[in-house]
Amino acid sequence: MPFSPQAPIPRKEKISVSYLVGKLRERVNINITSCASEHCSDERFVNEADLHRPGLALAGYIKLFTYQRVQIIGNTETQFLQNLPKDKQKEAFRRITKFDIPVIFLTDSNELPDYLLQITEEAGIPVFSTPLETTRFMYLLRDFLEDQFAIQTMVHGSMVDVYGIGILVAGKSGIGKSEVALDLVERGHRLVADDVVMLTKKSSVLMASATEMSKHFMEIRGLGIVDVMSMFGIRAIRYQKRLEVVLELTLWDETREIERTGLNHDSVNVLGLDIPLIHLPITPGKNITVIAEVIAMNYLLKHYGYDPAKAFQDRIQSSISDKTQGEKGIPKRAIEYFEGDIE
Amino acid sequence: MIKKKVTILNSAGLHARPSAALVKLASKFESDFYIHMYGYRVNGKSILGVMTLAAEEGAELELEMDGPDEKKALKTIVELIENKFGMDDE
Repeated sequence: MPFSPQAPIPRKEKISVSYLVGKLRERVNINITSCASEHCSDERFVNEADLHRPGLALAGYIKLFTYQRVQIIGNTETQFLQNLPKDKQKEAFRRITKFDIPVIFLTDSNELPDYLLQITEEAGIPVFSTPLETTRFMYLLRDFLEDQFAIQTMVHGSMVDVYGIGILVAGKSGIGKSEVALDLVERGHRLVADDVVMLTKKSSVLMASATEMSKHFMEIRGLGIVDVMSMFGIRAIRYQKRLEVVLELTLWDETREIERTGLNHDSVNVLGLDIPLIHLPITPGKNITVIAEVIAMNYLLKHYGYDPAKAFQDRIQSSISDKTQGEKGIPKRAIEYFEGDIE
Repeated sequence: MIKKKVTILNSAGLHARPSAALVKLASKFESDFYIHMYGYRVNGKSILGVMTLAAEEGAELELEMDGPDEKKALKTIVELIENKFGMDDE
């Protein structure tokens, strides 16, 4: 069975505002204080990663008002409100609070007068304030929300960080993926996950990690379950790693075509991203571990701008053009001149 | 490809030993075997995969079998689960 990524796991549909604020304080280290309706945070839910600044809605244009998003009130909105007479301020605020807004954040230490907070209190919309500047806060909040609503999938294979390149060893059950991973760990590389690999899509990157349950355990056929971190220590494991190459192990099959030059690149589509795919038939005497290291080094070389397959092809092409256009009378030998037994 | 829903009957759930029994049996067949639960799809021939599910008593699993011996394999595995993996509950 060729390596086929699986359907995405149904993503989180919503997170409560209290969970969001709790995690922002605890994991993202943002200082957030509650201004109004904190008791409603458990019943208010955020269901998308996008944010909205309700400037136009406050000014009166409520068509296309994306009220279901987290609302950010920064300097512009606050100053706009301050420039209005008190009754107009209330009117503007009532206009937006009649929508089902999940939560309002006041950024850059901005404050709302009590009579406006009163309106949100009546509507049951939680309001929080933070000293962070608006753009910085929006960046952190969006990053957090994107992670929360990221699509994920689970694949079968072993994920190892080889020289800083994330390689997923895939293939049929019992073909020896875990053994390759163990051998790589033994050679100083770092295991991310064995058997069950969670892939999370973050913008244009796929992050691989283990599940909480199977974290850094491994099954070796005939031996059972072993704990890689206890045996090899902290240097042998890694919490998460970007997926960069899929290495698919297959049994040797003479009828199957194998890549010989490295000029053609295969890839596999995982959650909408194309990941380089290498098919590796297993034959007696083949050291998969060393090949995995070579794959990682080759990937690095290409990343730094040197493609060996292309370099070799260029050499052949220049040699051919020399023969057809170059000087005549040069003997055709694979090596032009032996210097003698010097080097 | 055939699919079937089953329920875990062991009071201790799908812990290490039942998982091992399941994986061992599944590995005897040529067909690819997957288990679906909570939107996850794990390889039924991988013990860590099966144990990751931590399926409790009453949990509903969907078994997916794909291959030349899928019918026989599915029947045998469903029997194993319905017979509580041949173990008395501890």
